[in-house]
Amino acid sequence: MSAETAASTLARPAIDQAAAPWRRVSIYTVGGAVLLGLLMPWLLVRLDIGDYLVTLLILFFIQAVVAQSWNLIMGYGGIYSFAQVALYAVGGWATGVLANTLGWNPFIAILFAPVLAGLAALLIGLPTLRLRGVYVVLLTLAFHELSRVFAINGPRFISGGGYGLTIVPTFQFGSVIGEQRTIYLYYLAMAIFAIATLVIWRVIHSPLGVAVTALRDSETYAVSRGINQFRIRLVLFVLSAFFTGLAGGYMTHYQGGISTSVFDFPRLIDLLAMIVIGGWGSFGGPIMGAGIVIGLDQYLVALGDFRTLAEGLILAGIAVFAPQGVWPLLRNAFERFLAPESSPARSDQPSPAGAAEPPDDRAQEDER
Amino acid sequence: MQYTQIVQAVWGGLLFGAVYGLMALGLTLVWGAVRLLNLAHGAIFVVAAYVAYATVANLHQPILVALPVGVAAAAAFAYLMHLFLVRPVLGKPGFDNATLMATIGISISVQAAALLIFNPEYKVIPPVLQGSNLLAGVQVTNQGLLVIGTSLALFALVYLFLTYTRQGMAIRAVSQQMEAASLMAIPVVRTYAVVIAISGALAGVAGILLSPFFFLNPSSGFNPMIQALIVTIFGGLGSIRGALVAGYVLGVFESFVEVYFGVAWALPGVFLLIILMLIVRPNGLFGTGDVRRL
Repeated sequence: MSAETAASTLARPAIDQAAAPWRRVSIYTVGGAVLLGLLMPWLLVRLDIGDYLVTLLILFFIQAVVAQSWNLIMGYGGIYSFAQVALYAVGGWATGVLANTLGWNPFIAILFAPVLAGLAALLIGLPTLRLRGVYVVLLTLAFHELSRVFAINGPRFISGGGYGLTIVPTFQFGSVIGEQRTIYLYYLAMAIFAIATLVIWRVIHSPLGVAVTALRDSETYAVSRGINQFRIRLVLFVLSAFFTGLAGGYMTHYQGGISTSVFDFPRLIDLLAMIVIGGWGSFGGPIMGAGIVIGLDQYLVALGDFRTLAEGLILAGIAVFAPQGVWPLLRNAFERFLAPESSPARSDQPSPAGAAEPPDDRAQEDER
Repeated sequence: MQYTQIVQAVWGGLLFGAVYGLMALGLTLVWGAVRLLNLAHGAIFVVAAYVAYATVANLHQPILVALPVGVAAAAAFAYLMHLFLVRPVLGKPGFDNATLMATIGISISVQAAALLIFNPEYKVIPPVLQGSNLLAGVQVTNQGLLVIGTSLALFALVYLFLTYTRQGMAIRAVSQQMEAASLMAIPVVRTYAVVIAISGALAGVAGILLSPFFFLNPSSGFNPMIQALIVTIFGGLGSIRGALVAGYVLGVFESFVEVYFGVAWALPGVFLLIILMLIVRPNGLFGTGDVRRL
């Protein structure tokens, strides 16, 4: 990496590392992760419980997409939106109804899930996002509640008599069945996860992402620098809904249905726990949080209500005593012990970036 | 028939309104002074109700003993929340995030704990007053009258407390200008604790007095809390007068929606009303323009 930077500095003016942090991710890391992801199912299916593990990974990918896009607006944008599950449901129901009622192929129908979720987000965003914190909490909860009531009491092709959609066609890859089909499903989920992660990564490090972080950290300053708060928030909200809807659509066709129980409060809490435990407002936090929550869940599910009790206490404890979550801890450990010595960007970064930033540790965390 | 329905709706509305007002009073006090959006307000409601239930059912005490016990438990619970969740993050940059998440966490923990200690079955707390009168074909219970009376009395009490006592003045000073208040030697953190405990006690009273009507289960605090949140915003965040008026307005409105459209549409209807309200008067009925934080 250092040789590469040296060569590019000769050719053209040096790029400020803080302005283009995405350049610092080595191609080997990304390539390795993708390769590992591609090979994983083939290794896992050799195991006895391989099928179960692949299914778990699929769940992880989808939950991570939802958590990531929620973090995009909550953690980075500072918009306390609780419409996330409702938007997920919009995506799920959209593709479910298209496939069920109109008999569309799931692969075609799912393309409409993110679009409709985005449109729904636009509709909620227009009246909501001009308002502030508490009002956003309330109005998005209102949307959640309204969609729940509609999903239960609405027309029969939507509500399914109060149970949700129960017989939605699942993804079929020709005549492939069994293990092979699970692997294809896995690849599909992984593709969704990869695209969402890539786009969110780019958005966070684009002028749009910088603007929204600025709005969160110092609204007065950001607005006086000419950032249009409402428009930026709306764009981000719609983008977040897009991927949430896609995840919802995938899950509907994966499970062959979507039940009205998605609106249950504990589901919202699970997603929130992923973000808070992993690291609120950090890029890798929600991904890691999704892994932690889903992984622990396999052990904690036997505990029943003790699990919820513990989850709530952990949520509160982390929010108060370690508001940055687990991700920064891991990150610092990595930088201290494992990071290559020849990375000069790290050592000189805090001085220019730290001086200009507000005295909020998290702001600097985002830069990396 | 039609007339009875209207009386029924109005009576139910006044009853709801009294309780929502009581819940909203607690929320709005805490918001005004501490700038804390307490999403665990419903959990405090449930804690008080279950403590009162246990006092009656397990310790065989009359409800008149259980009522103060439950209210004290609610205040103590709120104080503990202050101690462990609010005080560590006071004045830190992530205050809004941390308290929002923490109160959500506490509220589901309380729900789970209630589920574990008591079971999900509906519990009945005996009413303080028995009997009822018939008014135009509608049963007007004495307990209902008591709820409305208590609510109005508590509103008056809180108003007098805030206006005429030293502690009340300290609370008002802190909500207006925290820094200036602290320069005038007002113990800000202790004032916060007092406000949060009072707010908890109010939620406790609401929980114990309302439970004879709706029965008690671990998640029965959620709906009153959401309604109280709506009332608070409808009346104007931080405004006590707003909480009183908006409580009754929304209570009666909800009651009419329930009578004419069914229970399922009560909450959506109220939400629709609040959206309209926010378009017309973004700061609520009695809100001041300066609620720009969080």
